[in-house]
Amino acid sequence: MIIVENLVKSYNATRVLHGVDHSQQRGEAVVVVGPSGCGKSTFLRCLNQLEVADAGRITIGDVTIAGGGPPRNAQDRERQRRLRLRAGMVFQSFNLFPHLTVLQNITEAPRTVKGVSRSEAEAGAGALLAKVGLEHKAGAYPAQLSGGQQQRVAIARALAMEPEVMLFDEPTSALDPELRDEVLRVMRQLAEEGMTMIVVTHEMQFARDMADTILFFEGGRVLESGSPEQMFTAAVHERTRDFLRRATTR
Amino acid sequence: MSNAWRLSRGTHSILVFVLLLASRPLPGFGADHLQTILARGELLWGADAEGGAPYVYPDPQKPERLAGFEFDLANALAAKFGVKARMVQNQWDQLLPALDRGNFDMILNGLEITADNLQHAAMSRPYYVYAQQIVTRSDSAGPTNLDGLKGQTVGVLASSAAQRLLQRLGGVEVKSYPGNVESFLDLKARRIDVVLLDLPIALYYGRPDPALKFSGEPFSPGYYGIAVRKEDVTLLAAINKALAQFISDGTLERIYRRHGLWDQRQSALADYKPETVVQRKSISTLREWPKYLPLLLRGAVTTVTLSVLGMALAVAAGLVVVLTRLYGPAPARWLAQAYVEVVRGTPLLIQLFLIYYGLPQIGLRLNAYLAGILGLGLNYAANEAENYRAGIQSVPKGQTEAALALGMSRGQILRRIVLPQALWVVIPPVTNDFISMFKDSSIVSVITLVELTKVYGELATSTYDYIGLGLMTAGIYFALSYPASIFANWLERSRRYDHR
Repeated sequence: MIIVENLVKSYNATRVLHGVDHSQQRGEAVVVVGPSGCGKSTFLRCLNQLEVADAGRITIGDVTIAGGGPPRNAQDRERQRRLRLRAGMVFQSFNLFPHLTVLQNITEAPRTVKGVSRSEAEAGAGALLAKVGLEHKAGAYPAQLSGGQQQRVAIARALAMEPEVMLFDEPTSALDPELRDEVLRVMRQLAEEGMTMIVVTHEMQFARDMADTILFFEGGRVLESGSPEQMFTAAVHERTRDFLRRATTR
Repeated sequence: MSNAWRLSRGTHSILVFVLLLASRPLPGFGADHLQTILARGELLWGADAEGGAPYVYPDPQKPERLAGFEFDLANALAAKFGVKARMVQNQWDQLLPALDRGNFDMILNGLEITADNLQHAAMSRPYYVYAQQIVTRSDSAGPTNLDGLKGQTVGVLASSAAQRLLQRLGGVEVKSYPGNVESFLDLKARRIDVVLLDLPIALYYGRPDPALKFSGEPFSPGYYGIAVRKEDVTLLAAINKALAQFISDGTLERIYRRHGLWDQRQSALADYKPETVVQRKSISTLREWPKYLPLLLRGAVTTVTLSVLGMALAVAAGLVVVLTRLYGPAPARWLAQAYVEVVRGTPLLIQLFLIYYGLPQIGLRLNAYLAGILGLGLNYAANEAENYRAGIQSVPKGQTEAALALGMSRGQILRRIVLPQALWVVIPPVTNDFISMFKDSSIVSVITLVELTKVYGELATSTYDYIGLGLMTAGIYFALSYPASIFANWLERSRRYDHR
């Protein structure tokens, strides 16, 4: 479903990803943890091409992008766009479109990108809003919502494109603790429904409960990976045990 | 020649003039100002040497010194008094107020002996008889007398004797120019049929040009005289005495022959009898507003048309420029950036001159209206491009990322996500620009368009009611620009999505 091979990425002279490999089955929920600056967000952003890797291969579903570097021609750009359509992305800062209502935020991409009719897009959006518990907010503008509500809309917006994978980039980090649960609840529900997900987060409870696999990132590499059971109780590396112990007791 | 024969800077000076009139600090000169001059050893004479040939101008051979028939006359006059002459440079249309303030002793600079000027100063007997000369293109038949000008498009100097003459005549399309060269340029560009102006200027600027010719004999003679303050009677008497001598002993004739200006008409100088001058009542244009307001409003129509169409062009062209600059391929991007820098780094006045007088020389002849709209529009396009750029860059990067992640293309993101948000940021500065274009549009008077400020200037120089007309004009500008800012405020408030 997802295969990443030898992904390398530098910013100017600083190498952020030192050849990351990763593979993931359909329906698998992967949680990425690690100290700040370890490259986990960059890894996620490379997957849907918000950052372009310098080298390596990324495959999501039936789309493969290899070699790195920015797209050189229309064909490259089209492939990049198709890869993005396979993956939905949820950002730490929500990034809802402030000039559009909640409903319009969700219907915008299906209508402009996929050419879905207005009524069809709105029906779909209504169902998704019900799923995230915000059907009564369809006409509101993002500025009228709490952070937790905004993030739930952002999840619905990403789902509206019917992606094969959902990428979450620290989705609860910008939220007050009491608003995190409503977002985590939606994410749990998605995982239970069998959505293929990659979640970068500091929420250890979520990782323990929901992850099929935990990746521990350090220094731009996957230091080790395994099931929650294995990682929390019998991690191979001292560094992993240390990080997970601290993160859990915090 | 009369008020503002070089009025390019007239509009700024009008305010200064208003202030001068309002304060008017009359210096306490005694009746015997002549004694002061003799004691000082210097005769200070006011004139404007900028573009002032052949009256007084920087000597083309030796630009650090002056030349001209009035320069020679001033020296002769000073020599008669046993003092040295020193010219005080002063903008031409501000000479009378400056005389009033005591900046110099007299004005010797093509000032006509007219009822208007006699309201403000005492004037000597004439020292030169000027007349109006018709100049046409060498290849055209052209009219040879005043009546022949009817139905023609005639270029004149702003507020000159020629302009007043044609306005009294009627049936002539008059285009007024700020300087001596521009009317001849337009004549050669076939935008006008003839130029009518004071003979000395025609001789200096028009005669040497093979593409131009004098058509018919000069007509409508008038007198240049020296102006002094009304209370300086002894000085005036001394000047009159000296001039009488210069006329009888041939000094004047020698000076004028040296400059190629002597003609038959000058014999009238000898037997000049002062006409009785009717003291005219000062006009209150505010009290007579029904007469003046419609004239100003007609100018306002031009102002509004120019700025609305100019701004429409600026708003559209600015968008093209900014999109090219931000998203275009490399060479086009540099071009767009260069456009912004060059246009913002050069004066609008120069750009207008280039478009109106420069383009005809490479075969592109635009009428004044089109040139004005183009000049204002393309100039402001650079500003609008910068406004847009600020607006576009104020939209957080996360917006683009979110849209990219949803699979939207660059074009879709720009149209549907970035520009709609940038719009709200851009509205206030663009409205401000619209209001300033409104006021800046007065500059198009240099390419013969008669808009509101120009009408004000023309009416004010003929009525001397700078304050009354000024209030009316300012009122019109305000009445037109205030709704624009109200509209912008309302638009800003209606930005619903920001409300919590």
